[in-house]
Amino acid sequence: MALAGALLLSAGAAACSPSSGGSSSNSAKGTTTVTFRLWDDQVAKAYRQSFAQFQKANPKIHVDVQVVPWANYFTKLTSDVGGGNPPDIFWTNTSNFGIYADNHQLLDVGTPLKDEQSGWQKSVTDLYTRNGTVWGVPQLWDSIALYYNKDLVKKAGVNPADLTWDPTGKNDTFLAAAKKLTKGSGAGAQYGFNASYDGQAIYWDFAGSNGGVWQKGDRFADADPKTEQAIQYVVNLINKEKVSPPAADTNTNGNKTLQLFTQGKIALFQSGPYNLQNIRQGAKFSWGIAPMLKGPAGRVGVIHGVSALASAKTPHKAATLKVMRWLGSAQGQQAIASGGYAFPGVKADQAAFVGYWKKQGQDVSPFVAAADGTTFPAPLGPKVQAGATAMDPILQQVFLGRTPVAKGLQQAQTAGNKAIAGG
Amino acid sequence: MISLRVRRRETAVAYTLLTPSLVGIGLFLVLPVFVVLWLSLRQWDLVSPSTFVGLRNYRDILSDPAVGNSFAVTALFTAMVIPVQTVLGLGVALLLNRRLPGSAFFRALYIVPWICAPLALGVVWKWMFDPTDGVLNAIIGHRITWLSSENLALPSVAAVSVWSQVGYVSLFFLAGLSAVPGHLYEAARIDGASAVRTFWHITLPLLRPTTFFILVTGIISSFQVFDTVYAMTSGGPAGHTDVIASHIYQEAFVDFRLGRAAALAVALLVVLVMVTVAQQLWFRRRITYELG
Repeated sequence: MALAGALLLSAGAAACSPSSGGSSSNSAKGTTTVTFRLWDDQVAKAYRQSFAQFQKANPKIHVDVQVVPWANYFTKLTSDVGGGNPPDIFWTNTSNFGIYADNHQLLDVGTPLKDEQSGWQKSVTDLYTRNGTVWGVPQLWDSIALYYNKDLVKKAGVNPADLTWDPTGKNDTFLAAAKKLTKGSGAGAQYGFNASYDGQAIYWDFAGSNGGVWQKGDRFADADPKTEQAIQYVVNLINKEKVSPPAADTNTNGNKTLQLFTQGKIALFQSGPYNLQNIRQGAKFSWGIAPMLKGPAGRVGVIHGVSALASAKTPHKAATLKVMRWLGSAQGQQAIASGGYAFPGVKADQAAFVGYWKKQGQDVSPFVAAADGTTFPAPLGPKVQAGATAMDPILQQVFLGRTPVAKGLQQAQTAGNKAIAGG
Repeated sequence: MISLRVRRRETAVAYTLLTPSLVGIGLFLVLPVFVVLWLSLRQWDLVSPSTFVGLRNYRDILSDPAVGNSFAVTALFTAMVIPVQTVLGLGVALLLNRRLPGSAFFRALYIVPWICAPLALGVVWKWMFDPTDGVLNAIIGHRITWLSSENLALPSVAAVSVWSQVGYVSLFFLAGLSAVPGHLYEAARIDGASAVRTFWHITLPLLRPTTFFILVTGIISSFQVFDTVYAMTSGGPAGHTDVIASHIYQEAFVDFRLGRAAALAVALLVVLVMVTVAQQLWFRRRITYELG
């Protein structure tokens, strides 16, 4: 009984908690408060700078930047949208926005911001176009490259820019390098590479670089021979070759490999620009960026874009659209780019981002090259999130080496598609 | 006539005084139960409009092996937690009852885990259980994957649950012990009964009402355990700690299948009522209330 109540209460609490949710306006001072929610506390710093500037030109509008951690972001956002009290503007990813668009929860931003659109990163605008309407203003995008610890790589005599993996072993130069970079085991171990249960940075890229697929249309198709071969290779890196930390450490701790890399305990770290600042702040050694690992089908990495969406329920549409226009302008994204936080969704700011990192002694061009090359789509579809959560426990067992890869991928595909189909 | 009028007035006063509680119970307990019943007949993802689906959610959960697994895991969890926390709680209470120097301090100390937020405790324990940098493995000097091993995950979570509950359980036993009339012990001593005999034939039987209360509330709360599991394992690995409340959360707020989650909550309610009634019947003839 208490639980039944708790179920309801938590739905209610998530929906009406005033401190972190929803929109609010302060009419007493004649200013309107527009709420803006995102999950990245690094980029939030840039937004706060940006909105300080915005407010100088628009003293009557105050933008309240709210950070909700990634782990609970979509639980909370969906509860708030369902409860009728969403933030005025919010970030989403491609997996989650379709359901909002289909249920009239979003403002059409393509029509009022028609003139700005040509300045946006088109691949990202396209990801947020559904039924002919543009629903999102591109904010940033991520592609995949290979961070490396210069000291460790030099000591082992490995050239990180030229590493090829091959599941048949014929053209493989990567495994030997990863073994050279692996030392010891247990708490003090040093690992060659960050193979782990991480779709965006690891296993979708391996699948793509082997010519495999993850989805066909809206349905999962991961029980594909090429994908299976790629995942088997990744699982072997962890459990057989032991050049990556045990899945028991990384499966449910998404930050573990980042921590190990910044502690100097992982030599090669395949990841996205979203970790640039984390590494700059955390690493006490010199590091560099190389192109992602090359597979039999070349370098095929995940590209992902984040957009800002506006709620159809906002009580102050004019102010919200004004903020959206700012978010889609070169000026509005200046702080994100020049602060080195992320590749900006507005193309004109890209040079500022590259420039920032050049000043830091880093060449971020491998990310640009990955975005311009062949890319692998992050899972799409209105119910893809439910599918992914159904697949998680099965795939985690695969990474732990407890379920054979072929069997696990088949089970995950069945479970994922069942979850998409079921209500 | 007068007495009737007085009684009527008393009744009115009583209900007036009860109103705040009744409103609270109605709003936060009875109403949600009915809403959940209603919700369990519908399909709803929080965002799209909800639709009536009849008993489909119930059919779905009955045929879903993951739900069966969750009930089994919950039963196993309860079987691990309840006996241990009851025996330990009684042991602690017996020690504290001897009023040794410092027992007030220890009484307070044992309560600390219980007054702390289970979510925070879960997070801290998760760090301690960490296979590579955790303090536990550092102490034993072995690498044990506590929370990601299929066999160890549930006992690990159960151990944390016991640890946090023992102080609370011992408080009740302590209160029960102080209610046992001293003259019974005196009589036993005069008759030459050993400490063990005194315990089995006086202390334990007279603690039955307390034990009953501890078992009923303990079983109910262990069937509803959520925070600790959520923080430590989120139901993993592969559903080995996917207790029913964790599964309900997953259905409702990760998969956004509110109807199914509500049906599961109703099923849990039914199971708990059955368990409680069974306990009531079992204890009914065995409870000895305080003598005299």
